Amino acid sequence: MANLTQSTASRLARRVGDRGPVREFLMFSLTGELYGVELTRIKEILSPPPITMVPRAPREVIGVCSVRGLLVTVLDLRRKLSLDERPLTRRARILLGEAESGEVIGLLVDEVRHVVRLAATEIEPAATALGGDVSEFVLGIGRPAGEFLILLDLLSIVSG
Amino acid sequence: MAELSDKAREEFFSEAQEIIETLSRNLLSLDQSIKAGTSDPSLINEAFRAVHTLKGLAGLFGAARLGALSHRLEDVLDDLRLGRVELGQEVLDVLFGAVDAYTRILQAEKADSDEELDVEQLFIELERIGASATEHESPVAGYELDPGLLAVLTEYEEHRLRANIDLQMQLYRLRVQFDLSTIDKVLEEMKERAKRHGEIITYLPTGEATSADTIELDLLMASRDDLATLIGSLGADNVVIEEIPRRARRSTGAGSGTLPPRHPTALGRSDSLDMQRGDVERGGLEQATSLRSLTQTVRVDIRKLDHLMNIVGELAIVRSALGRVAEKLRGEGQRKLATELQRLHRNFDRRLGEMQDGILEVRMVPLGQVFDRLARVVRQISREVGKEIRLVITGAETEIDKLIVEELSDPLMHMIRNAIDHGIELGQRRVEVGKPLAGTIALNAFQKGNHVMIEVEDDGRGIDLAGLTEKAISLGKLSRSEAQELSRDETLALIFLPGLSTRETADDVSGRGVGMDIVKTNISKLGGVIDVHSETGIGTKMTITLPITLAIVSALLIQAGKHTLAIPLSSVSEAIAFEEGAVRLVDGREVITLRGQTLPLCRLDRLMALEVAPDSASRRRFVVVAALGQRRLGLVVDFLYGQEDIVIKPLGKSLAAVRGFAGATELGDQRVGLVLDAAGLIEEVLAGIDNAPRTLERASG
Repeated sequence: MANLTQSTASRLARRVGDRGPVREFLMFSLTGELYGVELTRIKEILSPPPITMVPRAPREVIGVCSVRGLLVTVLDLRRKLSLDERPLTRRARILLGEAESGEVIGLLVDEVRHVVRLAATEIEPAATALGGDVSEFVLGIGRPAGEFLILLDLLSIVSG
Repeated sequence: MAELSDKAREEFFSEAQEIIETLSRNLLSLDQSIKAGTSDPSLINEAFRAVHTLKGLAGLFGAARLGALSHRLEDVLDDLRLGRVELGQEVLDVLFGAVDAYTRILQAEKADSDEELDVEQLFIELERIGASATEHESPVAGYELDPGLLAVLTEYEEHRLRANIDLQMQLYRLRVQFDLSTIDKVLEEMKERAKRHGEIITYLPTGEATSADTIELDLLMASRDDLATLIGSLGADNVVIEEIPRRARRSTGAGSGTLPPRHPTALGRSDSLDMQRGDVERGGLEQATSLRSLTQTVRVDIRKLDHLMNIVGELAIVRSALGRVAEKLRGEGQRKLATELQRLHRNFDRRLGEMQDGILEVRMVPLGQVFDRLARVVRQISREVGKEIRLVITGAETEIDKLIVEELSDPLMHMIRNAIDHGIELGQRRVEVGKPLAGTIALNAFQKGNHVMIEVEDDGRGIDLAGLTEKAISLGKLSRSEAQELSRDETLALIFLPGLSTRETADDVSGRGVGMDIVKTNISKLGGVIDVHSETGIGTKMTITLPITLAIVSALLIQAGKHTLAIPLSSVSEAIAFEEGAVRLVDGREVITLRGQTLPLCRLDRLMALEVAPDSASRRRFVVVAALGQRRLGLVVDFLYGQEDIVIKPLGKSLAAVRGFAGATELGDQRVGLVLDAAGLIEEVLAGIDNAPRTLERASG
């Protein structure tokens, strides 16, 4: 992923002039919708290892798993965003992000698509697009090339 | 100090901390020796050296406040070791004040705060001590001493020389040939042997070595024994002993007026020495010894040890896999290979065990580290509140995980403060009831199986049960009728409630109503429990039971519902077969009888709302008896897998609110198993049985 970031970074540098600052988002699907989180917030993408359920844990916690010896709490993003649950497919992935406390948190998503670059003009802020009463996790709506992308604030999701 | 690297900063702080602790220990020993009416010059000397090192360190790291204090303290200690100031309780108080000031300064430096610390008063007191210093008239002139030798005496050596002459000791000169390669060792041995007869005050190279590999030193020694005795004891081919004659009553040469200034920089006769080979500059020898002892210890960040421990944990997983492969080979008829592999497996197993023990041993530190700090607290508080306290420490050498030690000092300090303030009566009162004037606080530590027990015991008035109950009622923690139903132990347990204090007035020392509840919380965080016993008029004893280490534990792997769980073996007393028919219901709670005693039961699957395994009703089940301190609880489980060494990793902060688990561990095959928090479970389940704590939770929660 480091290579990916570098090569895109140089291309980005050239485009900054025409469309204003550009941010990169990782696009993934969840219950049929497309979502994006800022690429820099993601430490790693994993195929789900065996996850151990933790009794008494909050509902959005699926359980804990070990990532090369590190104990990681895995959240179900669907539960966190109050979406319908569907059975996992083999395309399911875990996105690792870091909470404000420094704890590494895993987010279970249905499928990872690709990286999109969005200029500021292609992002509608949540308040403008959806009104005031929006989940704190939603940054805004991204519209790259006719697609509809719900942009999420990874930091507040894993920290909350 | 901002420009320093974090690592260097940490090194600096931990070294400074260590030195301050050494200093504090020296002062405590001095305190004791004064009380015993003896004096040990080496203690003051060590204290002086500690402060001197600290001063150097502070200079190196630009810690100005630390440097300023060290500078003043060094002067006073110098006066003390040279006998210019008499060491008494007042002086010692000021010195202890300096230790506290050090601690505050260090904290401020650590936090990078420029906050004004109030050390002015301390500085004034230190200077007042310095001003009282008196110079002595020198009796040294009465001996035929070599002026060259006198010229290079440090002020301390000069002081020792005077002190020995004052004691009517005879002076001797020992001219000794040393082999350069063994001089350190041989000289140490000589000093040791000389101690029986007196003291070696100084040594100086004569510059008359017979070969390039040897060096000749003159040792100046003071002794009460005569020449023949010394020759008999210390004499050898390479040693020539002469008595230094007393001078006839006339004053020449090295009189007191012509004694050299302190800390001479140049040595009279060092030019003939082979400095590169031996570094036997006088004074350099002493330095070399202390440097060597420093380099034999390595300060290690505990996280590095955790890392090593994790690797051991992962190797243990490899080991299990190896065992499985060997089994598989055997199953496939490859007997010879299987046997060979199994032998390797056993060997690997043993070595891994040794490695694990080795790492654990490194993590272990003696509890004495904390006890020393507590001794200082006792001294300070007892003077503040005007109670005479005798602190008796046993088992300071008991070792426990470094991380536990760090977390122990606050809880223990609270307990000791409580004991002095609430427990020990005022002197007059003690005499009235026929107790010795000085109160005794015993701090005992010992190992018991995989646990370390620490007892804090006082011979004070005991806990006032009626007062405690009244206070709890007035705070709304329980009703009067509930209070009447409490057993004695349950009433005693009230002291662990938030906000409880039996003293009406809050004061400096304790009795602010915070304390025992925090103590209990901190102890349980370490996987320990605290029990209290108290007899009115006789005293109170608090017992802390702690696991020896946090890093690696032997655990019993069990199955409950569909979960594989681990229970630390340290909190398991036994496991028995479960018979549904033996269960009795008492007040809606399940119990069984185990060897004539009632054992409360907890069905793990129900408590945790675990998914029940489909065939669990028909299967044989087990009861794992968890025991901590005085309390026992039977955990009903579906299956016992056996014992395994596990590395417990804490659950993430996002799961901090989840109760009942001490963490998780890797089970091999990539899976993670949860580790039960036995202490927490016992607490939780039994809280439903004891009236008091349940009420408390409702009231405080």
